[in-house]
Amino acid sequence: MISSPAIDLQDVTVAYHHHLALHGVTLQLPAGTICGVVGMNGAGKSTLFKAIMGFVKLIRGQVRIHGLPRQQVQRQSLVAYVPQSEDVDWQFPLRIWDVVMMGRYGKMNWLRQPTARDRQRVRESLEQVELWPLRHRQIGELSGGQKKRMFLARAFAQEAQVLLLDEPFAGVDVKTEKLMIDLLMAEREKGHTILISTHDLASMTTFCDQVVLVNRGILAYGRTSEVFTPENLSRAFEGSLRIPRRCD
Amino acid sequence: MITWLLEPLHHAFMVKALGVSTLVGCVCAVLSCFLTLKGWALMGDAVSHAVLPGVVLAYWLGLPFALGAFVFGLMAVTLIGFIQQQTRVKEDTVIGLVFTGFFALGLVLLSKTASSVDLMHILFGNVLGISDRDLWQTVIVSLITLITIALLHRDLILFCFDPTHARTIGLNTTLLSYLLLALLSLSTVAALQTVGIILVVAMLITPGATAYLLSDRFGIMVLIALAMGGLGSLLGTYISYYLDVSTGGCIVVLQTVIFLLAMIFAPKHGLLAKARSPLS
Repeated sequence: MISSPAIDLQDVTVAYHHHLALHGVTLQLPAGTICGVVGMNGAGKSTLFKAIMGFVKLIRGQVRIHGLPRQQVQRQSLVAYVPQSEDVDWQFPLRIWDVVMMGRYGKMNWLRQPTARDRQRVRESLEQVELWPLRHRQIGELSGGQKKRMFLARAFAQEAQVLLLDEPFAGVDVKTEKLMIDLLMAEREKGHTILISTHDLASMTTFCDQVVLVNRGILAYGRTSEVFTPENLSRAFEGSLRIPRRCD
Repeated sequence: MITWLLEPLHHAFMVKALGVSTLVGCVCAVLSCFLTLKGWALMGDAVSHAVLPGVVLAYWLGLPFALGAFVFGLMAVTLIGFIQQQTRVKEDTVIGLVFTGFFALGLVLLSKTASSVDLMHILFGNVLGISDRDLWQTVIVSLITLITIALLHRDLILFCFDPTHARTIGLNTTLLSYLLLALLSLSTVAALQTVGIILVVAMLITPGATAYLLSDRFGIMVLIALAMGGLGSLLGTYISYYLDVSTGGCIVVLQTVIFLLAMIFAPKHGLLAKARSPLS
């Protein structure tokens, strides 16, 4: 059996209100890759994520995750999404434990009654991100970095094959950033695939295997060192980015 | 005090009224927790008004009110979604436009058939004169709502908190959204007899909003809302009996007063607590 790529987009095209958000995106990522998705605000990073999660109607093309179509990907909880902090209602009356347990819902019966195994996985995930002692806190009582780690723990509890992280390092202290990068690299070792969307270039180069430059379509993708050329970056950011001149 | 509580129970109509009010208060209270957390207060207002033509048509055709309300509640919501997608008009405008339109249609239909007494009863409730048929309808609708929420509360909480995650793990969020709206239509019908269409929305918002100020745990929030919705309706009905005033009005005024007290005195999120700790 030939193993399918973890993420396989063929000619994916998405439009909102007669306006092309993504045009002809073809992209294949093998399992066990960390891939940065870099582009300006409005360049289509979140549309790309939505296409991978199967949330948007495609005008053209198809999406396969580990060779499977949308329904099966969702039924098996293969993809996990770590949201931006601004998109979350932090006043919601939930504890850290409750949110991480939500990662297990896809694996439970329809009444969502947690088994011993579910509790075990939630505990392990919370210990991994070093939030176990805070599990009874209301979610709004966490710091910026702890909030990110909570959603990372939910993705771990979900046992997803593909992790999508939206601006994971925004408002995060250096110590948390290091912990998160270590955790993501450990996920990569397990053969999981991680996509990180960001407009912060500096943080990407150190640990991303691949980079995708997005501007309504894919401008370039491949190994980080090959993609991050002045010409590519200038096209991705439409000249709004100052690139340090290289000394030849 | 004991006589104050027992005296009305000599009247069969008061026993029914107290029972129905308390039940409806509890049902609306549970639902109000979800509506306030989802930010659907305006949607609750809309659906509760939009069911009116359905109720009138059901009355004409001799069908259960709940069926008519259910159909028109969902029609209103679908129309709101459609207009919003197809035009540039903003969401709150569309909601206001559709529900007043439906409500007006209901008034037109109602004025063609019913006496002005019936009209007043539908708009402002008539729990003291509730018929046995309406009583049973309220009980059945309430039980359906409570059982559905009891079984599916975890999915509904997830849907309110993080619909994106819900979708990625294969939950049908469109279905959950319509389920919550359907429960809203049903509880509107249940509350119709008690407080009337105009004030239903208060019962669907105030207990949840109050409990939200008093707890950071969802389970406890529901218990507080239940206590407030149930006791508020029970006491409101007693007070309306002794003062000989509108029952629905009494219940809602009482619940609003409890909300104001919670707003001031809530241990963590109240105004006094905030004044004491300027840092937070």
